[in-house]
Amino acid sequence: MTARITRRGRYALAMIAAAAAITVAVVAFALPGGSPGRTFPSLVPAAAPAGWPHLTLPDGTAVLSYPPSLRRVAGDKDAVSAARLSPGGTYQLYLNATPRQGAERLRQWAAFRLSLLRSDDAASAHEVAAAEGVKFRGGTGSCVIDNYVTRIGGHHYEEIACLVQGQAAASVIVAAAPAAAWVQARPLLLQAVAAYLVR
Amino acid sequence: MSFPLARSAAGLALLAGLTAGCSTAVTAHSTAPKPTATAHSATPKPTATAHSAAPKPVTTPPSPPVTTPPATTPAAPPTTMPAQPANPIPQGNGGDQDGDNNGGPSDGDGNI
Repeated sequence: MTARITRRGRYALAMIAAAAAITVAVVAFALPGGSPGRTFPSLVPAAAPAGWPHLTLPDGTAVLSYPPSLRRVAGDKDAVSAARLSPGGTYQLYLNATPRQGAERLRQWAAFRLSLLRSDDAASAHEVAAAEGVKFRGGTGSCVIDNYVTRIGGHHYEEIACLVQGQAAASVIVAAAPAAAWVQARPLLLQAVAAYLVR
Repeated sequence: MSFPLARSAAGLALLAGLTAGCSTAVTAHSTAPKPTATAHSATPKPTATAHSAAPKPVTTPPSPPVTTPPATTPAAPPTTMPAQPANPIPQGNGGDQDGDNNGGPSDGDGNI
């Protein structure tokens, strides 16, 4: 009789524990902002600090500002790029601005960017966060934060890439860093993105 | 002494189980009637028109155009698909010899 009661008690406790676990799981999933890492950071457009150099796109439709610790690097003829390289020549920080060239659109920009990465130079690419209707100096844009591994060298980068529509034209700004250094690099790169000026 | 405690705990668990069971049953019941209700409402309509159409053959032609609108709905999904990028630039110092074709960070070009 006592053993039967004990068995009942254990069963009841197990049921209560299971119900509590389910409740906790449901509440955790239902709470908004449960995964803060996937939230796109707020971007407040602001002019670059004094002393930051500027690079104007050859077509004059946008201005890329970059920290003095970076230097201009070669790239496409119609684009501008700046980077901080390690003594060994690996990229530590990277900024690029390029006029809109293809089928880029503000809607579903994140999907486009990831698709482009996978089809071009990345062996894999994953979205971290995305946002549309992001305010920029002189325009509005769509942004995505993602990470990818390059086909050449297997380098793991994290980037914020935005398609920004100005009054006259649209362009893309990319700010990237090695994934391992992303947490440290992110504030400076976001500052450069927030200083991006479109016309 | 422990008997009432165990009994109350078991009762609580049973209550939780019952409420869970009831809630699932309610949702199952709430979802089930919808299709059947529409199915029932849908079936009488054709029969009613069929009966009214029988004496007047002129009323039968308008019914076929009603079936054509659903054919336009499949056209919507292709518009939501993200635009596919153009042909990728060759890697390994290919194409424009950019850093991103040599293991560097990807630039913002549209793959053109």
